Amino acid sequence: MTTTELAIWAGGVVVLLIVIILLFKAVWRIAEPNEALIISGLGAHTRNELADSLGFKIITGKGAAVLPGFQTARRLRLDSRATNLQVNCVTQQGIPVQVRGVIIYKVGDDFVSIANAARRFLDQQDSMNGAIHELFTGHLRSIIGNLTVEDLILNRERLTGETRSSAADEMSKLGLVVDSLQIQEIDDETGYILNLGKPHAARVAASARIAEAQRDQEATEAEQVAAAKKAGAVRESQIQQAGYQAEIDQAAAKSRQAGPLSEATARQEVVVQETRAAELEAQLAEQRLQSQVRKPADARAYETVTLSQAERDARIAQAEAEARETELRAVAQASQVKQAAAAEAESVRLRAEAAGAASRATGEGEAAAAQARGLAEAEAARARGLAEAEAAKAKGLAEAESIRARAQALAENQEAVIAQQLAENWPAIVEAGSKAFGNIDHMVVLNGAQGVEELLAKALTLGGTGLGLARSLLSGATPPSLNGTEPPAGKPLDVN
Amino acid sequence: MVGRQGRVTGKIGPGLVGEVMVPIRGGVEAFYAHPTLPDEEIPVGTIIVVVDYSPPRTVYVARAIV
Repeated sequence: MTTTELAIWAGGVVVLLIVIILLFKAVWRIAEPNEALIISGLGAHTRNELADSLGFKIITGKGAAVLPGFQTARRLRLDSRATNLQVNCVTQQGIPVQVRGVIIYKVGDDFVSIANAARRFLDQQDSMNGAIHELFTGHLRSIIGNLTVEDLILNRERLTGETRSSAADEMSKLGLVVDSLQIQEIDDETGYILNLGKPHAARVAASARIAEAQRDQEATEAEQVAAAKKAGAVRESQIQQAGYQAEIDQAAAKSRQAGPLSEATARQEVVVQETRAAELEAQLAEQRLQSQVRKPADARAYETVTLSQAERDARIAQAEAEARETELRAVAQASQVKQAAAAEAESVRLRAEAAGAASRATGEGEAAAAQARGLAEAEAARARGLAEAEAAKAKGLAEAESIRARAQALAENQEAVIAQQLAENWPAIVEAGSKAFGNIDHMVVLNGAQGVEELLAKALTLGGTGLGLARSLLSGATPPSLNGTEPPAGKPLDVN
Repeated sequence: MVGRQGRVTGKIGPGLVGEVMVPIRGGVEAFYAHPTLPDEEIPVGTIIVVVDYSPPRTVYVARAIV
């Protein structure tokens, strides 16, 4: 035994081991957890009596030797599979809907299901989805036809129950198990589902609006109450502020007026006292005047009045006597003149009559006679005019004399006459004169009785009423007889 | 399979194909279920016992007396 032989043996063993491993890997097949190994061929018998008649062996979860050339091993996947469904169908109520769903299925885990599925799908596992899709399209249509829309949406138990009832037997034939059937989407062309939710949505919306409105109302009420209280508080505050401000202003005004007011009060008291002093002074002066001026003046006035009255009476008596004398003398002269004139006129008249008679007696028709008669008539007229002139002259002389006598008497006794008239109308004069003083409350005459007289005279001469009254008295008191008589209307002498 | 307990996941009753979940082969599988007594109704959630097994996926069940 050399090392060379040892190496050959070792290499042979290694090669043998590699060959054995390769051979084992070629023969031994292992089933994964999600698949089943279907072995058919020579001696492929399973101990499962349910599947042996078909002459193949089902291996799950372990390995098995497969004789190359005599046996063949195929894998059947046991995974979940999913296929989408889309069905246009009607519900139990006849409402057309379009349903989209998904079905999840797998090959059953028991040998019977695996055997059924293996015999149907082993070579066409990829087309299994298509077959299931076709199968479940029909089933889903019938399932939805037994359900209402409400069940479709809400009653999952009912849906799965219907699915089992409809598809259980056929799925068992195919060796498949439905894990889940889900409705993904329901297209409702008529709006049934939309309308289904509307009452509830409207109710919820209504209650939401009601609640919102109520809360809004409560909030608004609370806000308004708060605003009103706020305004009330502001008002109270402003009233109080205004009151305080008024008090402040009042106090300020008082303090401002205190100075002038006290000054005015003091001045007022001073004025009162001054007024009182002035009144007392006025009373003093009045009393002094009363005692010093008025009483003596009264006395002198009384004396003057008395003396004047006595003098006046004397003058009146004298004037009356002279007037009477003059009057009587004038009357006597007038009577005398009148009688002389009357006699002269009578003689003229008689002479004229005699001439007239002589003329008439002498006859008619001659120029001389006419001339004589004219002459006679002229003579007569001249004589008559002379007589009238004489008479008028005599009367005028008498009247002139009378007037002169009266005027003389008036000139001599004017004062007495006036005094007499004044004495007769003295009360009225004094009354009229006193009207001039009517508006004078208190007159102080500083010149005694003389002053009173001057004042009275001025009042009588200046006062309109007094002067007018005096004039009227003077004119009214003078009788017209004293102014001479109006010459009698010329008596036409009847000269024939 | 027979004698195993399971839970109803789809209502079992006459005219219905119910569903039960039964632990088997290390996992839990769903089987189509029918009542053993023809008129019995077994609601969802009830514990049942498998009375008979009809391959591949159908069992007949009765209420388990727990």
